[in-house]
Formats: sequence, C-alpha cells, structure tokens
Amino acid sequence: MGKEIANFIVNGNEYDAIIEPHMLLIDVLRDEIGLTGAKYACGAGDCGSCTVLIDGKPSFSCLTLAVTAKGKNILTIEGMADGNTLHPIQQAFVVSGAVQCGFCTPGMVMSTKVLLDENPEPTRGEAKTALAGNLCRCTGYVKIVDAVEVAAGTMRKGG
Amino acid sequence: MHRVLLPFEFFEPTTIKEVVNLVDGDKVRVLAGGVDLVLKMRRREIVPEKVVSLQKVPGLDYVEGNGSAGLKFGALATLRQIEQSEVVMQNYALLREAISKIVSVQTKTMGTAIGNLCVATPASDIAPPLYAMGAKVKIMGADSEREIPIEEFFVDVGKTAIGPHEIVTEIVVPSLPSGSGSAFMKLSKTAEDIAKVNAAVLVTLADGKCEDARIAVGSVAPTPVRATKAEEAIKGQEMNEKSIKEASALAAEAATPISDVRSTAEYRKEMVRILVKDALQKAAERAQV
Repeated sequence: MGKEIANFIVNGNEYDAIIEPHMLLIDVLRDEIGLTGAKYACGAGDCGSCTVLIDGKPSFSCLTLAVTAKGKNILTIEGMADGNTLHPIQQAFVVSGAVQCGFCTPGMVMSTKVLLDENPEPTRGEAKTALAGNLCRCTGYVKIVDAVEVAAGTMRKGG
Repeated sequence: MHRVLLPFEFFEPTTIKEVVNLVDGDKVRVLAGGVDLVLKMRRREIVPEKVVSLQKVPGLDYVEGNGSAGLKFGALATLRQIEQSEVVMQNYALLREAISKIVSVQTKTMGTAIGNLCVATPASDIAPPLYAMGAKVKIMGADSEREIPIEEFFVDVGKTAIGPHEIVTEIVVPSLPSGSGSAFMKLSKTAEDIAKVNAAVLVTLADGKCEDARIAVGSVAPTPVRATKAEEAIKGQEMNEKSIKEASALAAEAATPISDVRSTAEYRKEMVRILVKDALQKAAERAQV
C-alpha cells in the first residue's frame, strides 16, 4: 500500500485526502483537511492535546496512523458546537474560567465528552481520573474540574 | 523526537495466518494499538521496513472467562477493555488494580495489554500481576502454536521469547484459588509516569496461615522478577507484622536495579522492601474478607 486517496469522516463530513501509510492522523486533520482544533504538543502520548474521538474512543491523533482511521467516525473539537451555539461542555469551560492559554482545552473537552457519555454524574474524583491523560501547563485543573461539574449539571437538565 | 515518520510498507491482513507469514524479526513490526510503536518510530528507535496491522483481523479483541475457568484475552484487547470487563472486576482484581495505575485514559483506550507485554519493558505494570497469577502466553507461528509461562516470555530489556516469525495471540490466566487475596503497588515520580518500582502479590490463606504466596516485582531488573525467597519465607506462616517484615526484607534480594533518571539503584532496592511489605499486608487483609 503506497500513496492513496483516502476518505475520512470527520464531524459527520466526508473529506478526501491523499495520504501515505506513514502519515499521522493529526497531520492529515490539520494540514490536509484544515481542522486545526486538535493540537500537536508532546507528540508522545503524554499530554493529550491531540485527543480526538475515533468511533467514540479517545485517541491520541499524534500516535495514530491516518491510514488506520479511514472510514471511521472521527470527532474533533470542531464538531462539538452546533453552528454558533457552543456545546454545553464548551460553554461550561468558558463560564468556569477553565480556559487559560487554551492549548489543552480541545483535548480536555474531548475527554470530558467521553466521561459524560459514560457517566452523566461524575464525582470530582471521577472527573480527575477521566482527565488524567490531559495535561494543562497553566495548571488550571481546579477550574477544569469545576467545568466538568457544570457541564454535567447542564447536560443532565437536557441543555 | 521527529515530527514525521519515515516511510514504510503497510499491510492490513485479515487473518492471523497472513500476519504470521508477513512478520520477520525486527524489520517488520506489528501494530496493535500503536502507542509504543508509533512513539518509537517518531524517535527513530524503531525504523521498520514494514508495518503489519492487526486491527483488521477479526476476533482478537476479546476478554472472556470467569472465576472458575480462568481468564483469556486476545491480542487486540485494550487495557481499558480489560480494566472495565466484568470478569476482571469480579475475579481478577489484581490485574484491574494494576491497570488503574496507568492513568491516561487515551493510553488505555488505544494500548493493548499484549502490546504492552511485547514491548518487554521492565516497568510494565501488567507484567507483575500476570507473573503473580501464573499467566501463560500463547504464541503463534506459521505452522505452530505454543504456550509458555509468562516468566519465560520476558528475556531481557525489550526482548521476548517471540521468534522472528511468530506473534502473541492470547494471554491465559488460570483461576485463582479460593481464600486468595491480592494487591498491586506502584511507585512513580508522578501518577502519569512509568514505575520506579512496582510489586504484585497474591497470597492464599488457609486456617489463618499463608498457604501460598506469589510475589513479583518490576522495574528493578532487566525483566520483572519473582521474589522467591520472600515467597518461601512467608509460606506456612501466620501473616502478621513480624513475618511480613521478614519476608519483605528478603524480597529486596531479588532486585538487581539500575540507577537512572527516575531513581538510584539503592532507593529502588529499599522501595522493593517497602512495596512488598505494604502489598503483603493489603493482600492478607483482602484474603480474609
């Protein structure tokens, strides 16, 4: 298998991109498809900034071969908002002051989505466990955990 | 760390037979979850000519069994899947406790347990529990299948007993004796880091005495190791402060650690004693419940 035109389903939209087997998903998302929400930071699976959901599973896009994500449902931070209306998780991050430099935020939001899909009423401890694979260099963790609680509350009310 | 990978030939076979026909020592690498492989390819520590993905082979992502028949999981079973599986939760708490100490959800969602074992890092958190529980490794070649104890699987740092034309397809864990209790301990620089030292203990109590004990420690030798002297010392004894203290002092003898960025050899050795002591205590308490 060499160069090929591959079909990616990102946030419900289909994109064709010319890829080679050694290309990483994050590079295809950012450079070929133009979705720069997922961030490249450590490149080693430590920080979680590049987290996207592949078929609902939180994945490091910087350690995923793009070729293995063909045809799967990929959700990035760009797919969270509904037009101009922020997703309740995004809204919670804004109102809780959980965004400082913002670089970790897309990954944090994606990991929060995974948590709340599985557990709509997490404790603060469960929120921390769920976000353990996402680092915030601004160290704004308290407000990030606050945001998870706020988001959980809104979503339970159907917001 | 390099931003891009060097090119390689990529294969996505759909049967184990095809995978086995493609693998060929270090030139060909098997991709399961990719967390370790892709990272090492970025670092140019691994530069394979070919990468063979297991992901399109159906039926490798199982975690099955029960308390009496034992536990089995396949080459694509992820750490997260094993951690959350009902059978592991009910009957193999030691494995679950160890996986819970790997904190990154993404790593556990992508990473497979068998991939972790094949990397053969002495710091593996899941190897000591599998040593303690007496797990076996199923290895498949083109015309052969063999099953070896996990202690024979780990050979050296980064080296396993897998032949150049073989792959690991399954881990088999026997059922645990009734009256057993277990505990896993991990010491690391931060919760997200790999272990400086880890320890897994499985004890079986009968009539208030320790009938059997299996103690394995990691990150303190080229491979995980059993602390056999400590095991012998505690067997037949009542598990009290004194016997646990004596056994854990002997556990340190099994350790031949190195000094590196994470710890000095002396500290690691001392911590083997502490971790084994705490783990024995906890395992004994749990066995009595």
